[in-house]
Order: sequence, then structure tokens, then C-alpha cells
Amino acid sequence: MATNTAAPAKMYYEDVQVGDAVPKLTKGGVTHQQLVRYAGASGDFNPLHTNPKFGELIGVGGIIAHGMLIMGFVGQMLSDYVGPTALKKFGVRFKGMTHLDDVITCTGTITEKYEQDGQGYIAGKVQAADQDGDVKVAGTFVAALPHRGA
Amino acid sequence: MFDKSKIGHSFPPFIIEVERGKIRELAIAIGDDNPIYQSRAAAQEAGYDDVPLFPTAATMFGFWGNTNLGGELLGLGLNVMRILHGEEEYEYLALIQPGDVLTGVTTIADGKTRQGSGGSMDIVTMETRYTNQRGEPVLNAREVVIVRE
Repeated sequence: MATNTAAPAKMYYEDVQVGDAVPKLTKGGVTHQQLVRYAGASGDFNPLHTNPKFGELIGVGGIIAHGMLIMGFVGQMLSDYVGPTALKKFGVRFKGMTHLDDVITCTGTITEKYEQDGQGYIAGKVQAADQDGDVKVAGTFVAALPHRGA
Repeated sequence: MFDKSKIGHSFPPFIIEVERGKIRELAIAIGDDNPIYQSRAAAQEAGYDDVPLFPTAATMFGFWGNTNLGGELLGLGLNVMRILHGEEEYEYLALIQPGDVLTGVTTIADGKTRQGSGGSMDIVTMETRYTNQRGEPVLNAREVVIVRE
């Protein structure tokens, strides 16, 4: 019988090599409804993300998605890959604005593998880009992975 | 123009309880249909004790825990209606689970004003350190915002 723990292992240190690709994730086009929903969930009610008139007023051409929604897409990719409780660090730089209907694809690569005090770690770089290849966010992550058979 | 004397200034601590329903709401908004975020039963089915924290859940702690942040930034002379997000980084120090009660303290870690072709902009780094109900550090969030003047 399986024993539940606070942080079950989803993958093992031995299973990952430098240069491995993080399985990519493509998200359906961003919708206005999704941004309203995300505003409520996150608590970020900046009208830039929900009110088309506001975006026109400040000269960004309509509604812009929350950058944090796009970071959330990358978070989903990492959650699918290593599991949320394995993450030790996750950071991004916001490089471009995301508009309605943009289709965002998240990708990543493992750049480093190391051990510290008997714990295995992997580090990687990640990004999210739209259908034209324009990068919206780029960043890095570190995850702690258990050793197989430990 | 960012007032450099505000570097090191901390805002009053805020308290936020980690709620399963909010984690579920965030996962649904992002479009992550992984059942581990949907219910405790589904998380247990996948081997977890309870619903795990979504990787970017700390954004909810910041906005919902400190609904006065906009006012506090205005108090520093930053126009929150012209704010853009530059960077966001999380350091996960210890496990956070539903029911945990976190205390967050946000500090202005750095700030500068840069002159560009379209006018000047303030670039401000804020760090929020979260501790849990046992006083253990559990998460650090670092955020860079850009405010066009």
C-alpha cells in the first residue's frame, strides 16, 4: 500500500541529464474570461488586464495579460515535470506583453546537475513564447530530486 | 523619481491563511487541470498528504494578504496605475500546506530612476519574506516593478 507524504517523488536525480528538454506545454489562446478569472484568483485587479478601454487609454492597445498568468503557465509545465513540492527556486523576467488570443508555448532545458549534502539538485532554464516566437517570459528554476532507491 | 532613502523600508506585516479553495481557483484560472490542485482526496490519490502549493501561489499571498500594497506604494510616490512587472522570483524554503498561517513582510530592497527616450521610469525591487505559524521561514518572493512617470 502506498504511503502518502507531504512531498512525494515524481522523478529521480538519476533520471535527468544535462541537456534534457523539459516536456513542453502549449496553452490555448488567452481569453478575456481567463484574465477576469485570473484577476479574481490572484487578487491582481489592475484594470490593464480586464478593461479594454484602460489599455487603450495608456497606449498599450487593449487588454494585456497578467505577466504572472504566463509565469503560471511555466509553473504548470514545471509542476507536470518535477512536481510542485520539488521546486526550490523559480524566477522569471517579463520580456514582452501577451495579448488576447496569443497561444503560449512553454519550453525548458536542464543546464546543471549537482549534489549538496547528499541531496540531488537539477537546474534549468525556461521560457514562454507566443505563436510568432516572441518571448514573453524567460527564467530559471532549481529542483531537489531524491536518489533512486534511497 | 524614486526616493532612495526608502531602500530598506519595510511595510507592516500581513497575515494570510493558506486555503485549498484558493489554490484550486488559481489552478483553474491558469488552466492547469492536474487533479492534485482540485481536492485533498485527489491529492492523496496521487500520494500527497494534502493539496500542494501551486508554484506561483505566492502571488495570491501578496495581493490577497496585503490588499493595501497599492496604497503603500502610492505612499512612496509610485503610481500603481502605471506599474509594469519586470521580474518575479520565488525561493521555496520549506513545505507550505493548506491551513498554514503565514506572516509576510515586504521590504523595498532596491530602487533607482532611469531616463529613457519616453521619459523617466522607476525600477523598484521588493522582497517579501514569509514565515509560518511556527516562525519558520518558508518562502521568499522577490519582485521587480517598473513604474513609468
